[in-house]
Amino acid sequence: MLKIWNMKAKEAAAEKKKPKVSAAQLRAQKGFYKGGQFNFTVNISNNYPHEPPKLRCTQKIYHPNIDLDGNICLNILREDWKPVLNLHSVLVGLQYLFLEPNADDPLNREAAEDLRANRRNFEANVRTSLRGGTIKGIHYDNVLVR
Amino acid sequence: MKVTINSWNTVALWKWNVQEDDVCGICRVAYEGCCPDCKVPGDDCPLIWGQCSHVFHMHCLLKWLNTESSRQQCPMDRRPWVTAS
Repeated sequence: MLKIWNMKAKEAAAEKKKPKVSAAQLRAQKGFYKGGQFNFTVNISNNYPHEPPKLRCTQKIYHPNIDLDGNICLNILREDWKPVLNLHSVLVGLQYLFLEPNADDPLNREAAEDLRANRRNFEANVRTSLRGGTIKGIHYDNVLVR
Repeated sequence: MKVTINSWNTVALWKWNVQEDDVCGICRVAYEGCCPDCKVPGDDCPLIWGQCSHVFHMHCLLKWLNTESSRQQCPMDRRPWVTAS
């Protein structure tokens, strides 16, 4: 009996140590990215909430703060993370990033330059990219809500 | 009639001086419970108050302050952490 109990306890402990992976989906209903549906993977390390969750966009999208590999530049995912934040705060931060892309902190320089130079042109390029179009020789994924 | 008491047992109950159902902002476990690394609540897993008025499980807060990214700031308001005396 005790042996079984010990085994169970060990299993539970191992389960706790496993890093957790999850997915998130965000639909933009306003702004440049309206009508887009964006998918993310969420990696939660054992050290959470002392370490931020790691988010990555699984689609190739045209966004000043998200590079072509899906890495995201959001302050609370890096230097401004604190353990009282949670996944909800991160998703709110992401929503904000899609509502107000920020040209001052770029991961995709071309998109950032585009936004800075001419918002109209940027908007047109975003629309093209959402439909799965090509901008300056780079093909983007179709992310429109079907 | 005279009553002689030979012995008695006392039972006491104590609580942390915080709002009853509130939770630690770091681990989200009740203040009256213990941090995720401890097994039993009580003196061995105490709370810690900052001068900024924020309260955490001591172990949760120390774990945070020991990380480089904490910059020794309160996780709630980012003011320099000063433990209230």
